[in-house]
Amino acid sequence: MSPLSLLAGLGVLAALAALAPRSRRVQLVAAILVAVEAIGAVVSIRVLATDHALMGRTTSLLPITGVRIDLTPLGALFTLTTAFVALAATIHWLGYRRHAMSSVSATSAFALFVTSLLLVPAAGDIVTFLVLWEVMALSSLVLVAHDHASRDEARQAAWWYGAMTQGGAALITLGLVVLGAHAKDPSFSSIAASARHLPGAARAAIFLALFVGFAAKAGLVPAHVWLPRAHAEAPAPASALLSGAMVNLGIYGIVLTRTLLGVGPAWWWLVAGFFGVISALYGSLYAATSTDLKRLLAYSTSDNMGLVVIGLSASGLFYASHPAASSLALVATLFLVTAHALYKSTLFLGAGSVQYATHERNLDQLGGLARTMPATSVAVVIGALAVAALPPLNGFSAEWLVVQSLVHGLASADPVTTVATTVFVAALALTGGLTIVAFVKAVGIGFFGRARSEQAEHAREVPVSMRVGPGITASACVVVGVAPGLALTAITRASAVVAPHPSGLTATLAGFHLGALRGAVDPLALALGAVAATLLVAALRRSRGPRTAAKLRSFEPWGSGRTVTSARMQYTATSFAEPLQRVFDDVLAPQHDLDVSHAVESRYYVERVAYASANDDVVERRLYRPVLALARWWGLRARGIANGSVHRYLAYGFVVLVVALVVVS
Amino acid sequence: MSLATVVVGLVQLALVVVGGPLLLGLMRRVRSRLEGRDGPAIAQPWRDIAKLAHKQRTRPTESSWIFAAAPLVLVATAATVAALGPLISLTPPLAASTDFIAVIFVLLVGSVALALAALDTGTAFGGMGASRALTIGALVEPALLVAVLALSLPLHSTNLVAIVADGLRHASVLVGPSHLLALASFIVVILAESGRLPVDNPSTHLELTMIYEALILEYSGPDLALVTLGESMRLAIWLGLFVNLVAPAGIAANATAAGLVLGVVAVTLKVAVVGVVVAFFEVTTAKLRLFRLPELLAGGFILALLGVVTGAVMR
Amino acid sequence: MTTFANALASAAVVVTVGAVVVLWRHRLRSIVVALAVQGVALALTAGLLAGHEHDRVLFAVALLVLAVKAVVIPGLLARVVAATPGARETDPLVNVPASLVVAGLLTLAAFIAARPIVALVGGPTGRLVPLGLATVLIGFFVMVARRRALSQVVGLLLVDNGIALVAFLVTSGVPVIVELGSSLDVLFGVVVLRVLLARLTAAGFSDLDQLRSLHD
Repeated sequence: MSPLSLLAGLGVLAALAALAPRSRRVQLVAAILVAVEAIGAVVSIRVLATDHALMGRTTSLLPITGVRIDLTPLGALFTLTTAFVALAATIHWLGYRRHAMSSVSATSAFALFVTSLLLVPAAGDIVTFLVLWEVMALSSLVLVAHDHASRDEARQAAWWYGAMTQGGAALITLGLVVLGAHAKDPSFSSIAASARHLPGAARAAIFLALFVGFAAKAGLVPAHVWLPRAHAEAPAPASALLSGAMVNLGIYGIVLTRTLLGVGPAWWWLVAGFFGVISALYGSLYAATSTDLKRLLAYSTSDNMGLVVIGLSASGLFYASHPAASSLALVATLFLVTAHALYKSTLFLGAGSVQYATHERNLDQLGGLARTMPATSVAVVIGALAVAALPPLNGFSAEWLVVQSLVHGLASADPVTTVATTVFVAALALTGGLTIVAFVKAVGIGFFGRARSEQAEHAREVPVSMRVGPGITASACVVVGVAPGLALTAITRASAVVAPHPSGLTATLAGFHLGALRGAVDPLALALGAVAATLLVAALRRSRGPRTAAKLRSFEPWGSGRTVTSARMQYTATSFAEPLQRVFDDVLAPQHDLDVSHAVESRYYVERVAYASANDDVVERRLYRPVLALARWWGLRARGIANGSVHRYLAYGFVVLVVALVVVS
Repeated sequence: MSLATVVVGLVQLALVVVGGPLLLGLMRRVRSRLEGRDGPAIAQPWRDIAKLAHKQRTRPTESSWIFAAAPLVLVATAATVAALGPLISLTPPLAASTDFIAVIFVLLVGSVALALAALDTGTAFGGMGASRALTIGALVEPALLVAVLALSLPLHSTNLVAIVADGLRHASVLVGPSHLLALASFIVVILAESGRLPVDNPSTHLELTMIYEALILEYSGPDLALVTLGESMRLAIWLGLFVNLVAPAGIAANATAAGLVLGVVAVTLKVAVVGVVVAFFEVTTAKLRLFRLPELLAGGFILALLGVVTGAVMR
Repeated sequence: MTTFANALASAAVVVTVGAVVVLWRHRLRSIVVALAVQGVALALTAGLLAGHEHDRVLFAVALLVLAVKAVVIPGLLARVVAATPGARETDPLVNVPASLVVAGLLTLAAFIAARPIVALVGGPTGRLVPLGLATVLIGFFVMVARRRALSQVVGLLLVDNGIALVAFLVTSGVPVIVELGSSLDVLFGVVVLRVLLARLTAAGFSDLDQLRSLHD
């Protein structure tokens, strides 16, 4: 208990330190937060290393139930991931504060947000969990609403986020409280013991409530609508934490649900898998067609969480027929969660640096940053290649493990599971392809090519701290990718908390070997081979002929015979995604508007052509807008009930009194 | 990794490096003959590469490091797969981890590098080529992975060496409907991945109709030589893996000298035959419009899916 | 895996692939060719079963299927197509990629739905029932999603072929009289439809959606 109470105490201290004078505020809070993150990391590493949960209880903090701490290896994995991501975000913040996020409220909210993110996985009972969960939700809401005074979008984002997160929290509270009512005390361990005796229908209802609540936090479609808004509007260090740490806790919640309720019948996981598939495809499709860098990243988060839920679903489905494949799926899923946290925080911090340098996040206005911001662009390229699941980075290892669990789970599957598995593989594949399109676009349009605007042209590399932040997460992507051994040991221990059956997966320094299940891959060997080959070919290229030796001449690129080329002749993010948009026209239903005005003299001369295309979220347009419109209509109708007349209000009270009397008697 | 396996890897690498451009030359020659022309010599691609290698390197004015790195990455990834894949022998280096999915993704690294380099040129053509190539790549992916799933069914493993070895041992696997459907879908995948007709016309040079040529438009000199070499190696690898999945006969089961020679001869002949067939097919086919391509790729996907279902029902 | 099981499965798969090809291709000629190939595969399935069980009657049925479903019916349809050379399914109600994805989902649905039959029949024949069921579902979908009158007829025939495949697999041979009756029924139906088609074409309706205009 003591290290975690120290952590919590320091966290609160950091939040109070936000009251310090403006000139030193962020440095002070960041310094305390680094200590908080270090404690979180050390504690969780110790839990993972010893494979013993950290337990503790105090009655002094919260009334009635007290605070119960139970940091299992599973929770420790999430805390460790959060600590790492938060460290990078905090370092980045030191530079970013000159751009935004230096007010008292934002600083203090950031401190509380980091602290609660670190502590949620350590919660050992319902009340502790819900209190921390609320602190996390509210502090992040403050951060999302950071720009509310200057930007209407930020206000909108805060509304959507607030509504979705509170709706989700309500469902989670409902589910947990019902569970807790049947247990002898509200600790998760006794709930898990008693939940097995609940009737099937009740468990199913609780599962659905908890799944929907946590899925809203993880940003699963159709509860994803807050995500592209909130992630895009929050300041960069906060977005990195939203996407690299907070959505993970939605996944943690779903895993927790499994530990509380048991694996349950197959249909639970078919439902989960359905939403996973929808999220993966929908998120990757919108990521591939977005032009706003941060929205693109946010949709990609939705897509990755979809893949994670697919993995969880596979683990649940294989549980009875193939326990080893089930455990493997869970390990793969947790690997994917940590991998996502690392590369997505790299990308969000990088996007923040771009915003810092150019005040722009529209890809159509960027370009050429690889020359002006070399360090940032290298980090972003690594993050993008990792999210595109290219070897030898961690995204590849994660995706490979997920596919392997599906391939092996198919070995002894009944028809329904077979069909689900096949659909999962197909969805995974299409998602992978679309993700590559999305991130080649993000990097190729945003960072390579020629600058498309003044701001991009004159961008300067960001301060050191803003290069270090994404730098450490990007390096982690490489290290975990090529040498997965250490990470995998920790993840296997975390997974064993939920699925004790051994998966047979072992990791050498260089790669994964599936043991009894046949299959292996060595990212390190692949990387070394490819790097050696690259160096060899580079040496060959350099050694050609004396006259040509390594002299590289610059030419104007080919412009179909025209000599004048301008940056506006390049492909933009919109045009890059146009073929995909046409292929998936029926799904995306984009709105085009073409307006041709002809010259007065003749219709054969065109004076002006205006083309507008809007690619807003189709779920939001088709599902939420009508519901909101209906609610508004009801609201307007209901206004007649309260017309301000005192007599009418008294009459309402009178009627209620009479009815109550009649009913009670 | 014993010495023998290293030798196998090096022989395979040499075969693919030397043979890739020759395969390209052979296919061009066959096309020319079928179209009633005499056509260039089979060794012409090699002469082109040798000529280009002695020219000066150029780059567009505002390009960055990725433009110079992409040809290297393209060749290096192809070389890695050439050395590790089961082409002439069932004992390539690291046979236990020659995973089908890893092979696909390593090759994908080369495609992505080239697409990024194309965007780096800062021209409309580069962007167009990158956009189209990746769109096709994304739509191919489901067919590819589901085909791999179908091929993995008998062994429940995606280890490429194991799958090929299984085909060598049990001929009944090769004629099983699941295997055949997966390979049928694989043909669609290969045509799309290597930019052959009806997906892309490899001999066009009109900017607006092409995909792959637009992608590499700005390369010249040694860089263009590398890109040509890399692309031909990739074609040779795809076809080499394909023929060994269709008919593994002749592949060396161990790393004896005689076995390796036989393996080299066998895979060369098989790939040459398939190359001629592809060339023949290309002469008789028209290029599909870009937006009809999803039909072709969805067809490939559905064949692979039927492969999985058939494999699952026959278990 | 015995050769018989492999061959039978391959023949059954070709029946399903034939249905997929009907959705895949635009040219009406290709669609008719796919139907003919499907007829051959269906006859082959029956023939293989007959050979395996030494059932002469079933062999006769196989020959009958070959004659009617691989030669006569496609021949009749080919003559309709020949009347308008190069005719295509240009603008189907559901576009081709989406249709193919639906066909995939229908195949998966058939795989799940056929579980009881597979469990009941079992063996190398019974487990192929999902393929027949998938053919039936895809045939129905062709009728829903295609405009051309000819495609509708082909859809109906796909349904019939699918049912025939299921019947062969489940009972290892329908009584010859039943098969004879159903084949003649279908043949009769096709002849009627062919006449109707010719009339419709003459009247300028080749797209069945246009028939809605008769409503007013």
